[in-house]
Amino acid sequence: MENDTNSGNTYHKIKTFDQKNWVSENLNYKKDSGSRAWILHRISGIALVAYLFLHIYSISPLTQGEVAFNNKMQTYSSPFFMVVEWFLFAFVLFHALNGIRIVIVDWADGAKYHKQLYRLSWVFGVILFLAMGAIMFAHELKNLF
Amino acid sequence: MDIQLKILRFNPERDKQPYFQDFNVKNVSDDWRLLDVLHEIKGNYDGSLTFRRSCAHGICGSDGMKVNGKNKLACALLLKDINTKKTIVIEPLPSLPIIKDLVVDMSSFFSKYEVVKPYLITNSPPPPNHERIQSNEDAEKLFESAKCILCACCTTSCPSTWTNDNYIGPAAMLRAYRYINDTRDEGGDERLDILDTPDGIWRCHTIFNCIEACPKEINITWHISQLKKKLSSREM
Repeated sequence: MENDTNSGNTYHKIKTFDQKNWVSENLNYKKDSGSRAWILHRISGIALVAYLFLHIYSISPLTQGEVAFNNKMQTYSSPFFMVVEWFLFAFVLFHALNGIRIVIVDWADGAKYHKQLYRLSWVFGVILFLAMGAIMFAHELKNLF
Repeated sequence: MDIQLKILRFNPERDKQPYFQDFNVKNVSDDWRLLDVLHEIKGNYDGSLTFRRSCAHGICGSDGMKVNGKNKLACALLLKDINTKKTIVIEPLPSLPIIKDLVVDMSSFFSKYEVVKPYLITNSPPPPNHERIQSNEDAEKLFESAKCILCACCTTSCPSTWTNDNYIGPAAMLRAYRYINDTRDEGGDERLDILDTPDGIWRCHTIFNCIEACPKEINITWHISQLKKKLSSREM
């Protein structure tokens, strides 16, 4: 620290602790609607890319002819895969609605009411998610009541 | 009332790693600012606690720190606005190198600020008989962006800053807005060129941490969005 008394730029000689760690910072910093939307947008984006590969894999029996393809499709129409697809739709919905929110923020003064836009995208998202569920499981719902 | 605090301590001459120290501060009142509590600790509990503060009235911007996981200005934060029933956790501003305790090295923050040329640029000769005049209406458009006190709460709260050392950051972009939209200034294009770089304005992902952190309640993201619009309309 005796360097401090010298004139000139000795500032960089001070020993410091580098606390840079983006993983822990992202985990520890308090989140608000904006950062939640950003994280969910990233997660849903990665999930959709992963789904794209899964989709290519699942239609690959097409190369082996009609029977192989139909057999494969049979497994995907099981209730388990129906529910998985329903949640896949949730990812698509969030990514699409939040994408619209980002466009409004960047192009239409949306930064002034970004929290309301976030809540609104959730309201629309939940309504559309339930509506899609009603369409997808119409047959099962009819049997239930 | 009594309050519990957990403060991140680091002495470069002794410690390898920062560590948390607990303090139990007695007889505080809820109209105290957090800075008063830090003064109380330094005066009566542990004189070695190190933090920056100068004006203590939210103007100099030197006592920015992370309080309960969020960047705040200690002199602009009343105890009644924090949950004092729980332990208050105080850390230095994120991502900047710690010099000692709550004091961080702000040189990278200020070098990014200098990049956007935060001064009046003119090419035309000055008017002969009077200063360069700005109307009240034009000045009013700059008021919000000119309120910035450069406390670094916004830039260090931004996830883009945490991952990219060279990202210019919200504070510098806000200052760029202030000069680009100044009717007397003629260096707008120069500054827009600086912002239109890979580490510039397009690394802003509208996460809004900067607005939450700003002690002056400036809508920084709105100002950045205006610059984005300006940049893309320039391309058309």
